[in-house]
Amino acid sequence: MFGNSVEAAMPVVAPIVIPGASPESAVPVASLTETARAVVEGALSPLWVRGEVSDFKRHRNGHWYFCLRDATAQVRCVVWSRGQRLIPTSPDDGMEVAAYGQLTVYPARGDLHLNVTAMEARGDGLWRKALEETRLRLDRDGLLAPERKRALPTAPLRVGVVTSPDGAALRDVIAVIRRRAPHITIVVSATAVQGVGAPAQICDAIERVCRWGRADVLIIGRGGGAREDLWAFNDELVARAIAAASIPVISGVGHEIDITIADLVADHRAATPSAAAEAAVPVRADMFAALQSKADELREAMLRRTSIARGDLENAADMLRRTAELDAERRRARMSNVAGRLNALSPLATLARGYAVARDISDRRTLAQVADFDPDRLFTLTLRDGDIVARPVKQS
Amino acid sequence: MSYEAQLQRLEEIVIELEGDGLPLDDALRLFEEGIDLLRGASDELTRAEGRVQLLVERAEGVFETRDMDG
Repeated sequence: MFGNSVEAAMPVVAPIVIPGASPESAVPVASLTETARAVVEGALSPLWVRGEVSDFKRHRNGHWYFCLRDATAQVRCVVWSRGQRLIPTSPDDGMEVAAYGQLTVYPARGDLHLNVTAMEARGDGLWRKALEETRLRLDRDGLLAPERKRALPTAPLRVGVVTSPDGAALRDVIAVIRRRAPHITIVVSATAVQGVGAPAQICDAIERVCRWGRADVLIIGRGGGAREDLWAFNDELVARAIAAASIPVISGVGHEIDITIADLVADHRAATPSAAAEAAVPVRADMFAALQSKADELREAMLRRTSIARGDLENAADMLRRTAELDAERRRARMSNVAGRLNALSPLATLARGYAVARDISDRRTLAQVADFDPDRLFTLTLRDGDIVARPVKQS
Repeated sequence: MSYEAQLQRLEEIVIELEGDGLPLDDALRLFEEGIDLLRGASDELTRAEGRVQLLVERAEGVFETRDMDG
């Protein structure tokens, strides 16, 4: 019963149509490029490719386009603008670089494209170029001028430190300052010192200390590390924040050999965080000595001033004494002169020669003529050695 | 006045005292000011222990310093 129906129960198999196998099954271009893209991306993980840069173009929309080529081959490369933040700067034509990215197919052109997200140039070419570009911009704005460098305070009491709160740099700074000048307070303005957000954080941390306003000097730094780790200290915004700081800034980034843009802008460049701390604070004993010498200067200046005053006083006293003596002398001379003249005029001299003068007995006016006498009244007769009382005698 | 500013003022005082023509009254007044500054500066230097603090901005322009272990 079923024998006849087996064939009838079998599903009808449609003829197999392979896409693109015949004109009738031709695939649209978009399918082709999409398939090619999937195959290429599936076959190759992102990888480093080396070659020489040519035809570099920076598009208005911020993306970079160029070719990577060698003697016999080339591949088109693109760096989207958001992928550029990990690349120090754009490459120049002719630069030997290694570019890291995903190979893909760009459907609109059917091109192979390397989507680049990292790049290094031989001999650190990109880093050096980026540094040089930043340096030139800062220089053009006068921020590297030697006359901009401020003197460090000779006696800071509060030292600001812009660094990571748990980095080796802070430990070094604390150790050095404790040893040299234990009375100094260290104020940490915390920041990340590496990674994508580090430059903005460092700028904030610098501004925070400045707005706080109570630090005398600012150390900014971190311990040594790979070049990428130090890169935040080559950031132009960080450099400008250092230049704008209201207090002198000491940079202490990494090891001796690392020189950063921050170093060029800072008021003082120290090779390491420890060296920065040494530059920031004098040894306390030296500060005492300096204070002592100021005290000596003050005392000497005052002594000198008082000795001048004493001299002036003595001179004045001398002059006063001389003037007084001269004056007394003059008075004496004048007195004896007057006395001589008085003596000459004195009636006493006449009396001395034997004359007498008659005077009224009570008011002692001189009785110089007969009419002055009252016959009934006694009068005084003054002689050389005293007075006698006399009485007029009528003769007629 | 900061330590640095005290030293600066001290410097000015010495220079003024060294100049001629300063009335004695003023000189004495300056000298006394200088002695006060010296005493203040020396006190700051001998103040026992500097600290390690973390600067925190709690709100725009509102700062706080917290002691850190160190």
